[in-house]
Amino acid sequence: MTDTPQPSAPNAETPSAPVTPPAAEPLPTIVTPSNKEVVIIAEHFKGTLQPVTYELLGIGRDLADKLGGKLSCFLLGFNIKEQAQSLIAAGADEVYLADHPELELYRTLPYKRVITEFIKGWELPPHIVLLGSSTTGRDLAPRVAACLGTGLTADCTELDIGPYEHTNKADPDKLGIYPGCLYAIRPSFGESLKARILGPWNNPQMATARPGTFIPLKPDANRTGVVTDIPINLQGEDFRLSVLEIVHEISKGVDLADAEVIVSGGYGLGSADGFKLMEELAACFKNSGVGASRKVVDVGWIPYQNQIGQTGKTVRPKLYIACGISGAIQHRVGMDKSTTIIAINKDASAPIFKFAHHGIVGDVYQVVPELIAQLKAAQGSCPTVKEPALV
Amino acid sequence: MTTPQNVLVMIKQVPDQSAKAGINPDGTIDRAKAKRMLNPFDRFGLQGALTVKKLTGAKVTAITMGPPPAVEILLEALSQGVDKCILLSDRRLAASDTWATSYALSKVIEYTGPFDLIFCGLQTTDGDTAQVGPEIAERLNLPQVSYCEDFKLEDGKFLARRVMEGGHQWVSMAMPGLVTVANSYHHLEYPSIRGVQKVQRLQRDEEALKALIETVDLDIVKADPKECGLKGSPTIVARTDKVGELGGSCVLHQGETIPTMVRDVMGAASALKEFALA
Ligand SMILES: Cc1cc2nc3c(=O)[nH]c(=O)nc-3n(C[C@H](O)[C@H](O)[C@H](O)COP(=O)(O)OP(=O)(O)OC[C@H]3O[C@@H](n4cnc5c(N)ncnc54)[C@H](O)[C@@H]3O)c2cc1C
Ligand SMILES: Nc1ncnc2c1ncn2[C@@H]1O[C@H](COP(=O)(O)O)[C@@H](O)[C@H]1O
Repeated sequence: MTDTPQPSAPNAETPSAPVTPPAAEPLPTIVTPSNKEVVIIAEHFKGTLQPVTYELLGIGRDLADKLGGKLSCFLLGFNIKEQAQSLIAAGADEVYLADHPELELYRTLPYKRVITEFIKGWELPPHIVLLGSSTTGRDLAPRVAACLGTGLTADCTELDIGPYEHTNKADPDKLGIYPGCLYAIRPSFGESLKARILGPWNNPQMATARPGTFIPLKPDANRTGVVTDIPINLQGEDFRLSVLEIVHEISKGVDLADAEVIVSGGYGLGSADGFKLMEELAACFKNSGVGASRKVVDVGWIPYQNQIGQTGKTVRPKLYIACGISGAIQHRVGMDKSTTIIAINKDASAPIFKFAHHGIVGDVYQVVPELIAQLKAAQGSCPTVKEPALV
Repeated sequence: MTTPQNVLVMIKQVPDQSAKAGINPDGTIDRAKAKRMLNPFDRFGLQGALTVKKLTGAKVTAITMGPPPAVEILLEALSQGVDKCILLSDRRLAASDTWATSYALSKVIEYTGPFDLIFCGLQTTDGDTAQVGPEIAERLNLPQVSYCEDFKLEDGKFLARRVMEGGHQWVSMAMPGLVTVANSYHHLEYPSIRGVQKVQRLQRDEEALKALIETVDLDIVKADPKECGLKGSPTIVARTDKVGELGGSCVLHQGETIPTMVRDVMGAASALKEFALA
């Protein structure tokens, strides 16, 4: 029953704490069949490949090299052939291309059919399949995993390869040492834990990865690879859903993903008004934006688009100023790759001070106005806020 | 043309993270002590199902899988206007991952159904995967709309506004189908006093309550125990690590006057000046 954890929800009762096996019977090494291939499912919007795809190719290259296998990438769409070369330049050894008018826009069922039918036709399954944890990836990945009959770990922030010793006697058929497992690592429920989730018994091992988390390779036009056309056998039942219209909302201000400076506010601001002060501070910098913790989004002080963290955006600006944010793991995973982190919090023991680079223990309403004053003094003057810096 | 007459909503009880009780100092959860609540995301799924009821008069069933105290959230669902509830409770489900959970839940749905529309929350706050809904849809071979933030029923179709990066889309789904509702769905209503009173009355009338909340186990829903729980789960939590202290080199300023502390940080953090507007 779910009083014990889903894999993504470890808790004190997690049944698999590693214990030393009895010396008498060494564990067998179990190699689950796979062709060692790491497969990425590319995501594009009207033919434009999304950054998360390049990020996945970056980490995928690393995993494939560790396994000694190939890195391949599914590319489904219409009139999309040219994009295959950029996938190869970004690290793919082979691109599985499905070019068809019915695949122009992403839809769950046609995409799932093309991908799973192709993989099911292989003699050996791939070792790993990765998608982004975007709204598309989180829609498609569980369908592909359930169809292939394999496990899936959501929203990973780290991925690696390594061995796993299964010593849990509650499950005797599985006892053994499994080399080459996908370590899918994600923040867990609770404030300060990371969970390593494994699915070594079946291949492919699947995960989705947070956009913005992994680093793409430098595109190399000299890299060579193969483009393979794959079969497309869509069925009537795949068209039970149709896309009527797509509305692109032009965000005002700077997109947080591209901002060089982010000023973020948390529950310590005390009220929605505090975000005026955040905007004022952000307006002192070039190319800046305002971010937030989930708690202030949940209470409605600022829209969801500004949320940073595990269930919001992942950002890596040059400068991140956290104001009245405690620094919970779910917030941290969205911003801890920022080059410089400055935290302002009145509690000296707040977790944010464990990973910020510079900290000021004090009230945001005293510290931030002083910071604005000193920035203005140093630079001449800051323009007053004309347009909200919110995205 | 389909007018949905039978609607299902999937809800889960989760530990209440805002209550400190049951949260161990190392961040793990002691589920025996933790306070429990309805998964906050499932309010949106529940509201979606009840909105269909308002539109078509459909009958709404709620299903949850969990230990016996999960009956608490079913009572809450009844007070909101759900017509019938099923609780799947079985020790053999312990340590189920999303694959095993979606298997067990799809068996309950086959046992209880058929349904024209199945509503789920986008995700749970403890499992936090957003996988169970789409995995159920796959097992039952249903189309799905995930991240639904608004919908209408038109010409026998489910028209849904779905969140996407940088905007949204409108899609049209044939029924039966499965929907996961995003927390940007803005039509949340809270239980009425009458609803709450109705449930209070019910709690004093065991027979009536039994008629509304059916408790089932794996045998009743004809689920294979080998596909459930630890054995049936393709993934496990191999270990949890305390998150290390990054860099661990925070220069902390405290106890001095605000202007002094700010000046010190201005001096030390070159990025402040580098990115400031000239
Ligand atoms: C599944 C899941 C996903 C989550 N996803 C995210 C996510 O994407 N992003 C996210 O941010 N969180 C997320 N969370 C929530 C996260 O665990 C924290 O609850 C949240 O980040 C806390 O927000 P906060 O720091 O603003 O508030 P609090 O934890 O309440 O911290 C407020 C801080 O402000 C300080 N403070 C108070 N008054 C002042 C003042 N006047 N001046 C200075 N400091 C002051 C306090 O000392 C405190 O440290 C998630 C949680 C779960 C379970
Ligand atoms: N044990 C459960 N019982 C009923 N519904 C569930 C259960 N677990 C997950 N769900 C449904 O699936 C959704 C996604 O859950 P998750 O994949 O855990 O994030 C939830 O919002 C619920 O609607």
